[in-house]
Amino acid sequence: MIRRRDYLRLTTQKLALRKKRAVFAIISVALGVIVVVTANSLLEGVRDVAVKTIWTEEIDPDLIRVYAGENPYELLPPEAGPKQKAKKRIEYLSEAVFDEIRGWPGVEAADRPIVVQPVSVNVFDKRPRGANELQGVPEPMLLRYVTDRALVTANTNAIPLVVGERNVLLRFDEKRGKLETDPAGEKVWLGREVTILLGDNYAGVSRFQYDYNKREFKPLGEDEVASQHDSMERSFRVQYDTAIFNTTLTLKGRIVGFCPGSKVLIPLETAALCEKWVDQRNRVASRNPARVTSEVVYGERGRRTPKTGEYTEGAVLVKKGADIEAIAKRIDEMGFSVATQARTFEEQARAFDSSMRIVKKVAFAFGGLILGLACGLVWSTTSKTVSDSRVDIGLFRALGATKREIRRLFLGEAMLQGVLGTVVGMLLGWALALVISHWVIGFARRSVYEPEEALLIPNSIFSTNPRFCLLLIVGAALVSLLAGLLPANRAANVDPVKALKRE
Amino acid sequence: MILLENVSVEYRLKSERVQALRNLTLRIGEGSFEAIMGPSGSGKTTLIQLIAGLLTPTTGEVIVSGENLSRLDDEKISAFRNRTIGFVFQFFNLPNYYTAVDNAALPLVFTGVDERTRRIRARTLLAEFGLQDRLDHKPDQLSGGEAQRVAIARALINNPKIILADEPTGNLDRETGTHVMELLQKINRERGVTVLMVTHDEKAAGFAQRIIRIEKGELA
Repeated sequence: MIRRRDYLRLTTQKLALRKKRAVFAIISVALGVIVVVTANSLLEGVRDVAVKTIWTEEIDPDLIRVYAGENPYELLPPEAGPKQKAKKRIEYLSEAVFDEIRGWPGVEAADRPIVVQPVSVNVFDKRPRGANELQGVPEPMLLRYVTDRALVTANTNAIPLVVGERNVLLRFDEKRGKLETDPAGEKVWLGREVTILLGDNYAGVSRFQYDYNKREFKPLGEDEVASQHDSMERSFRVQYDTAIFNTTLTLKGRIVGFCPGSKVLIPLETAALCEKWVDQRNRVASRNPARVTSEVVYGERGRRTPKTGEYTEGAVLVKKGADIEAIAKRIDEMGFSVATQARTFEEQARAFDSSMRIVKKVAFAFGGLILGLACGLVWSTTSKTVSDSRVDIGLFRALGATKREIRRLFLGEAMLQGVLGTVVGMLLGWALALVISHWVIGFARRSVYEPEEALLIPNSIFSTNPRFCLLLIVGAALVSLLAGLLPANRAANVDPVKALKRE
Repeated sequence: MILLENVSVEYRLKSERVQALRNLTLRIGEGSFEAIMGPSGSGKTTLIQLIAGLLTPTTGEVIVSGENLSRLDDEKISAFRNRTIGFVFQFFNLPNYYTAVDNAALPLVFTGVDERTRRIRARTLLAEFGLQDRLDHKPDQLSGGEAQRVAIARALINNPKIILADEPTGNLDRETGTHVMELLQKINRERGVTVLMVTHDEKAAGFAQRIIRIEKGELA
C-alpha cells in the first residue's frame, strides 16, 4: 500500500517531468479562478457597503411618501382640448388632502414636504481637509451625523414638531459603529425614539452651538435665536415670496439619548424644546401670511405651476402597528402616487442580493467557461502523462502497484493541477480585487463634490468569504478529479506485459 | 515451489489465434537456479509472465508458493508480486528521474515502507553490490553492468522468494554479463532465492542448475 506522502511525491515527480504542460494547465485553472474570486470579492464588498447604506435608509419604516399622482407637469392647458381628455387629471396635493388623510385611523401625521439644508460638518474642530483625511473625529459619530438626516437637524436648525415618542431598546454594533434596535437583546441601552415633523421657513436659524471641548451640541439662548430670526425675516422679505417658503418638509428621525463609542449627539432634553418650537413656528407663520393667488400659469410643456397651498409631494406617517400597505393603497386610490419605505432590512438586503445575483451569474459563467477550458487542459496533460508513462506504469504494476494505486496516482496528478491552480488563482484574484478596490475607492474619493461626502465612502469594497473559498477549492478539486478520471482509468488498465515489451 | 499444470496460453493477434503455451506442465523446486531457453516466440517470456501473475493462463493452473494465481484478485496478486517476485529485465527498466537508491527502493514504495527505512535498505544492498559510489547517480550516468546491478538490487530489496530474469545479459557485453550472472548465482546460493532466467546465451545458461528448453509453446 502506497503511503500518502509517497503518493504526493510520485505525483509531483510525474508532473515535474511535464513542466511546461502542467504549468500551462495550472495557469489556465488560475485564470478562471481569478475571474471568479475577483468578481466575488468585489461583489461581496459592494454588498457589505450596500448593507450599511440600507441600514441608514431603514430609518423610515413607517413613512409613506406621497406624490402628485400622474405627473401633473405633463398636463396640458385646458385649451389643448381632446388630447387632455385621455388623461386623468390629478390635482396637486393640498392641505385639504392632508386633512383628509390625517383623519384616517392608523395615520399618525400627514404633511407637506421639506427641504433639508445641505449638511456641513464644519462645526467639528478637526474638519477633514481632504477626501482621505478622515481622522480627528470619531468615525461612528461622523458617519451617523452625515447619514442620519434626523440628527442633521441639530445643525440645519429646521423647526421640529414632535408627533410621537417611544422608548426603544438599542444595541451598539461595534463593527458597524452604529446603534441598532434590538428588542430581544440581552445587552441593550435604552434610547428615545422621537418622531418629528420638521417644518421650516427659517431653517437657517441656528438653534445649537457646538461645544468644542465637550464635543456636544448646546441650545442657543432665546435672544440669540430671535435675533437671527429677525435678520432672516428681513432677508426673506427682500428676496423671496413667503409663499414659496411656506412649504415645509417632513422627516421622521430617531433621536438617541446617548451613543456609546462617541459623544452625545442630541441630548434628550432637546426633544422637549420641540414643543416650544411649534408655537414659535405658528407665531412666525401668522406674521407672514401666504400670498393668495388664483392665477394659473402653464409652462412650456403644458405644466401648471402649483398654486399656493398645492404641493407636488408630501409624507404620511403611520402609527406603530398600523397596516402601512393598506393606507398606501387608499392614498393611491385617491389618485396620488405612493412610495413606502416600509421594507424591512432583510427585504432590502434580499432585493439587493437578487440584483447582485445577475452580475454574479455573468461573472461566474465567464469564470466557469475558463475553468471548463482549463479542465480540458488538465485532462490533456494527464492523458499525455499516461501515454508517456506506459513503461513506468508497467514497471510499477510488475513491482506490486495495484490498479487502484495507479488510478489514484494519476487522479492525484489531475487534482494537484486543479488545486494548485485554484490556490494560485485565489491569491492572485484577491490581489487583483484589492488593487481594483483601492483604485475605485481612490477614484470615488477624488470625485466627491464635498469632502464630507467622502465620509460615506468606505475604505474598501473588498471582502472575502471563507465558505466560498473552501467551496471553490473543493469544487476545483472535484472538477479536476473528473477531468483526470478518464486518463487515470486508462492508466489503471495498462497491460504491464505489453507496456514492458520492447521490440 | 513453482508448479504449472497443463497450462495453455492463447491470444489473438488481429484475426489470428496464437497459442503461446500448449498444455505445459512444469515443476521448479525452491532455491533452484533454472534457465529457460528456446528460439524467439517459443513462449519463454510468456512462461515467466505467468509465474509473475502478469498473465492469466487460458487453461491450467499456476501455483507459486502454494498460491493458485488464477484465483487471486488484483489486490492480492499485486501484493504477491511485490513480496514474492523480483524482476530483472533485459533493458533494466530503471526510470531515469530516480537515482540508483530511489530505483532500488522502488518496490518498497508499494509495500508501504517509510522513506528512511527504504533508503537505508537500498543503500546497504547497493553497497553490497559494489555500488556505494553510485548511490545518487541517475541510470544514464551508470554503465550497463552497474545499471543491471541496480536492477538486481531492486529485485532483491523486498527479500523475494523468486527472481524472474528476462534476458539479464542480453544488453551487456560478455564480461559484464558474466559478472551479472555470477551475482545472480551468488544470490541463489547465499540467499536461497529461486532464480528463473530466460536467456538465449548458452554461457549464461551455464550458470543454471537446469536448463528448460521450450519450442512452440511446449517443453522440448
